[in-house]
Amino acid sequence: MNPTPDPPDPQDPKDPKATRYPTNLDDTRRLLASLWERSLPVLNDRIAQLERTVLAARAGTLTPQLRKEAAAIAHKLAGSLGMFGYPEGTRFARRIEVHLDHAGPVDPLRLAEDLAAMRATISL
Amino acid sequence: MRRILIIDDEDDIREVAALSLESVAGWSVSTARCAADGIRDAIAQRPDAILMDVMMPAMDGPTAYKEMQQIPEIAHIPVILLTAKVQGVDQRRFAGLGVAAVLFKPFDPLTLADEMSAALGWS
Repeated sequence: MNPTPDPPDPQDPKDPKATRYPTNLDDTRRLLASLWERSLPVLNDRIAQLERTVLAARAGTLTPQLRKEAAAIAHKLAGSLGMFGYPEGTRFARRIEVHLDHAGPVDPLRLAEDLAAMRATISL
Repeated sequence: MRRILIIDDEDDIREVAALSLESVAGWSVSTARCAADGIRDAIAQRPDAILMDVMMPAMDGPTAYKEMQQIPEIAHIPVILLTAKVQGVDQRRFAGLGVAAVLFKPFDPLTLADEMSAALGWS
């Protein structure tokens, strides 16, 4: 009777059955880069929504609902940009979120500057 | 092999976290895009740990965690909350829930598994 073979060790790089996922950090980075590319349409939509928020703030038509939605968008950007290697993008997105979340009036100029800075960090 | 359930409504976060845990740590990962689906999957799969977003529509992470604690089959599964909130008051509120840990977005995909292992006491 044949002994039952040991299950593959996912942590053992010498075991070809170890895992169906890349164990090489370069492969992981390549996959992360492809995920970043795939996320760009959503990212562009979010930036466009923040740009509309800036325009509304300049025009004095920024509603509480739009402001709340924009803060949520900035929150999402703050949580994701750094994950893709853009920590400065996260920093500016967080500034936008905090600005929109605070109780006082929105400063359109500051909002526009932070949005432009965030875009610059990710070259969009 | 560790089995992890990721619950997050953000596609990019879910995908990057899954890629990270699968490729860097070799863990087996399943994902859910809302808390209700996550609770259902947790009951069906009984993962070794759950990584769950705080801010989700319909049911947020803290509410989902409290609901999980009422379900005997999954109440023992450690839950790590993932949040982009950096204010101290939020951090203390989440930590006070009794979750295994609170980790912060943005996470580093290359070290997320290490952070989870450390938080869960996995060697």
